[in-house]
Amino acid sequence: MKFCAVIPSHDHWKALPAIVARLRDEGLPVFIMDDGSKAEAAAAIKALHDPAQGVVVARLAVNGGKGVAVLAGFALAVEGGYSHAVQVDADGQHDLDALPRLLEAARANPAAVVSGAPVYDGTVPKGRQIGRWITHLWVFVETLSLRITDSMCGFRVYPLSPCMDLLAKERVGQRMDFDTDIIVRLFWRGVAPVMIPVKVTYPSDNTSNFHVWKDNARISWMHTKLVFHMLTHLPSVLANRPPVIGGSHWAKLGERGALWGLRFVALSYRVLGRAACAWVMAPIVAYFFATGTSQRRASRHYLARALGRQPGLVDGLRHAMSFAGRALDAFAAWTGAIGPDAMSVDDPARLAAMVADPRGALLVVSHHGNAELSHALMDPCIRRRLTVLVHTRHAENYNRLLARHRGEAAARMIQVTEIGPETAIMLRDCIERGEWVAMAGDRVPVLSAGRTVRVPFLGAEAEFSQGPWLLAGLLGCPVHLLFCRRDRPGHWRLALEPFAAKVELVRGHREAAMAELAARYARRLERECREEPWQWYNFFDFWAGGQAR
Amino acid sequence: MDDLESELKRLIVSALMLEDLAPEDIGSDEALFGDAGLGLDSIDALELGVAIRKTYGIKIETVSDEVRAHFATVRALAAFIRSNGGNAP
Repeated sequence: MKFCAVIPSHDHWKALPAIVARLRDEGLPVFIMDDGSKAEAAAAIKALHDPAQGVVVARLAVNGGKGVAVLAGFALAVEGGYSHAVQVDADGQHDLDALPRLLEAARANPAAVVSGAPVYDGTVPKGRQIGRWITHLWVFVETLSLRITDSMCGFRVYPLSPCMDLLAKERVGQRMDFDTDIIVRLFWRGVAPVMIPVKVTYPSDNTSNFHVWKDNARISWMHTKLVFHMLTHLPSVLANRPPVIGGSHWAKLGERGALWGLRFVALSYRVLGRAACAWVMAPIVAYFFATGTSQRRASRHYLARALGRQPGLVDGLRHAMSFAGRALDAFAAWTGAIGPDAMSVDDPARLAAMVADPRGALLVVSHHGNAELSHALMDPCIRRRLTVLVHTRHAENYNRLLARHRGEAAARMIQVTEIGPETAIMLRDCIERGEWVAMAGDRVPVLSAGRTVRVPFLGAEAEFSQGPWLLAGLLGCPVHLLFCRRDRPGHWRLALEPFAAKVELVRGHREAAMAELAARYARRLERECREEPWQWYNFFDFWAGGQAR
Repeated sequence: MDDLESELKRLIVSALMLEDLAPEDIGSDEALFGDAGLGLDSIDALELGVAIRKTYGIKIETVSDEVRAHFATVRALAAFIRSNGGNAP
């Protein structure tokens, strides 16, 4: 472990020499990030630059905000080979006597983020205090946990490697929203918070950079985004819950906490109803729609083909809203807020015949409609036979949690990224036991690195996976298709259709046989997309044959 | 001839259902995959992996390039099984 300190400063310099001296006493090399300070402050900050004494001043010419400055500091720290960075505010509000305790906690828990939890004296303005409490409550909801007791304190020790992983994949708040945003997102990735009480004093001559309206609006927006992310990524949020540091039997405790969180979200949905949840989500969906360029482009390409006209802005938004609604519905179905009456079966007699067949089968599903919801609502005797192939490692934990919530087993999920001999043996065993193995037929990257085939889809050649057809050949079992679309508000239609009695891939004709199956599947999927264009949720440009989203 | 090698040849013929081929027709250094030699493909590789797992108890998670090299010829395959301590059937 190698520690350094990062101090972001915008126009704060009076307290800096004392802070730097204290950090140097602890043996920490210091990076001061001058975040576009005005001339007088900039000169004073620059004067502290003394690499021989372990103090480096770097300047961002334009004021980018606290988040930008800290992240630039992290980048320098990583470059310098440091594993951990201590973040300290430049205005002197942190009691640096707590530093040894923070460092000690970080050494004891190298994978955790150690954060000061302020204990205020009488100098803190009342308005700021109330604002902090509102943020605390939001953070409890966002993390479904009470463990981050104060998310706004900028006195922390960060483990740099999970931070850099996070920053490579997600956008973190750049200004006063930074401190909360990063600790919540790290929590979701399994980085445990360790809270250390620290004294905080608001210096009497302090000129705060906090803009009451702008920064509060920014913080409200951040919470809106975080809650939305939590709801739409619930499986990974719950599955990645960090271990409780210092507590005993943490795994059990963590799971109990997650279970309560799940109950809380389920209850909110029941109390507020779908329409209210959808309204709450609308501005957030609009935001993601506005910023998610590649998904928006993929949606537009798809809609143009499915609708047979050039889609407008309203069409794109409708598609995005429909997608958000899908996540809500699946969640509601798994938690029991949507009951089995909400789904009708297209051909009950045919379904009964399929269920009566004791043989195992491969069930090819799609990203059209809501297959996940159908798994939740279908007859328990079918669900017990079901094994769903997914490509995230969170699914198993999430599933265990749902099972505890429902008091009955949810569909079994197995994470599969590529079919190798081990997977083939395991899936053959499933089929031999008479199970139904479900996988999506319209996802390109999974199970098929380089194994795709171009087939006609909505008027042009599109890239489809060979995966399901290869698997069908290996398993030598009947293949069924499953479609489940929302046909009116609060109601779904399930169609389970036989697709192939048995797939045989004869050597020398295998590619052609798989292409034929993929083409037939694409034709059937196309019908679904034409009839219900808003419900295909594959934000990936199939026709370009490009990279995964 | 090596016992393990002839055993493997029989395994290849039966697991991949190469009805028109006798085990002794497969040369120990003959390429199993690709256009030259036996002309097996990636699905055959998967099936062969399954058969080897079941017969010798050697776990093969995915048919990676490294595994593919071990599957190149019967001789390479025999060496692979020996070095992984495969238990004889």
